[in-house]
Amino acid sequence: MSTMPLIETRGLALWADDRRLVEHLDWQVRAGERWCLIGRNAVGKSSLLRALAGLPVPGRAGELHWRGIPQAEWPAAEAATLRAWMPQQPGDRFALSVRRLLELSVVRAGAAPLDLASLDIADLAPRAVTQLSGGERQRVAIAQCAVQGAPLMLLDEPISFQDPAHQGLVARWCAAWVAAEPSRALVMSSHDMHWVARAATHALALLGDGRWRAGTVTEVLQADSLREIFGCDWLPAGSSWLPV
Amino acid sequence: MARTLSPAALWALALGASVLAVLVALAAGSAGLDRELILSLRAPRVLAAAGVGALLALAGLSLQVLLRNPLADPYVLGTSGGASVGALLALLAGASLWAGAGIGALAAGALLLLLARSALASGDDASPRLILVGAMLAALFGAWATLLLMLTPDERLRGAIFWLVGDLSAAQDNGACVAGAALLFAALALRGRSIDRMMLGAEAAGVLGEPVKRLRLELLVGASLAVGLAVSTAGAVGFVGLVVPQAWRLAGVQQTRQLAGLSALGGATLLVVADLVSRMVAAPMELPVGAVMALLGAPCFIVLLVRGMR
Repeated sequence: MSTMPLIETRGLALWADDRRLVEHLDWQVRAGERWCLIGRNAVGKSSLLRALAGLPVPGRAGELHWRGIPQAEWPAAEAATLRAWMPQQPGDRFALSVRRLLELSVVRAGAAPLDLASLDIADLAPRAVTQLSGGERQRVAIAQCAVQGAPLMLLDEPISFQDPAHQGLVARWCAAWVAAEPSRALVMSSHDMHWVARAATHALALLGDGRWRAGTVTEVLQADSLREIFGCDWLPAGSSWLPV
Repeated sequence: MARTLSPAALWALALGASVLAVLVALAAGSAGLDRELILSLRAPRVLAAAGVGALLALAGLSLQVLLRNPLADPYVLGTSGGASVGALLALLAGASLWAGAGIGALAAGALLLLLARSALASGDDASPRLILVGAMLAALFGAWATLLLMLTPDERLRGAIFWLVGDLSAAQDNGACVAGAALLFAALALRGRSIDRMMLGAEAAGVLGEPVKRLRLELLVGASLAVGLAVSTAGAVGFVGLVVPQAWRLAGVQQTRQLAGLSALGGATLLVVADLVSRMVAAPMELPVGAVMALLGAPCFIVLLVRGMR
């Protein structure tokens, strides 16, 4: 059971209106892996993350399996113990405290409690979520996913509001979180290739016309493939790349 | 963040206030009245006020979670108006007043949910749009109720003030509203954690394993039946459902279980006091209790809306 990939897609296709986002996606996420989805704006990274989380998307065909079982066959309560999902925007309407928010997000009780200091949010516990800054709220959202207790975490742009120091913190946190238990895996999205090189082990690139590239970070993050993915030139910078 | 009182202290406060309000309402201005008169005339009215207040506060709380909008109120969003139209139609057809009001409220609530569906699903901030759609529904149902009253000057229908503003002066209640409020409170308390999670958003609640569709249906039906019962007893009284849960939230109450209990007590207290004010302020004339609530509630609503938009 645990040797089954956490996520396996067979011929998965997604589209929105008339646009093909991805086609014939045959792809696996195994325990211990940290994947990052990359690609230009509106290429379908968020839609793919939604589909992987089992949420509705405009158009979808093909197969998605969680731990070898078709996703649609997972009851909602079981699915909650398998995957957590963080949207790009939290959309808070009620002034719940951070502490209350995290209490409500616990699905599998009894797991080791999350150290809030590891995401630099220990001081925020009594604050109302509506009063947090964008970066603070985003780290709280990552914590929400962590306390859920699911081994698979899907994070849509986890560092889009983070300052440089906290970008590094989140990258290290992601690696530590996956390493802490052998069943864990992470799929996220980002536009920062320098951060991707630090935070991810693998990358899945969506090219915008349905085609895709998957591989280790070193395989995918090369000058020619980055040019194909983003349509601009790239310069090497240490172990990562910067857009020209 | 303001410092918050402990839940136990809030409960004691709410319970004490409601008991005091009921006692004062029973005794007020009754120097010359005998015991019998108080029990047969005033007690049913105080009971009705308490029950209607509790029902409206719980209905407001349910709608706020259902629509993910802390400003939701059955009167502002047209649910009460739908109940008024349903009740008037039922009366004209010779059917049960309460059933008509319940069905009217349910239809109005379902219509609002349908109109707001895309905004709720997309997750973007639908607050102003939702409130505007609801306000237009309220205006529409108000017009329908007025039309029905004009077309059929029938004594069974009671006055326009009752159906459009709300009035407790002729309230006949044998405890049905209090019992209904107790039932709705029990249902909300039973689902407390699930409803708390619905406040995070439907998709977030679904990812946490909550049966979102069923919860939404339960909230809609519960709120609609409560509004139907309240409207058939006291007419379309507004703002109780907005003011009471919001006040408790500002006092730091976050859990649905606590919020529902305290809102029921607070709603009962508020409407008993409002009814007392409506009897005393221009005695011997009576103001409709709905006018008193609107005088208090509408400014609160405006303040909250302006603060929220900032």
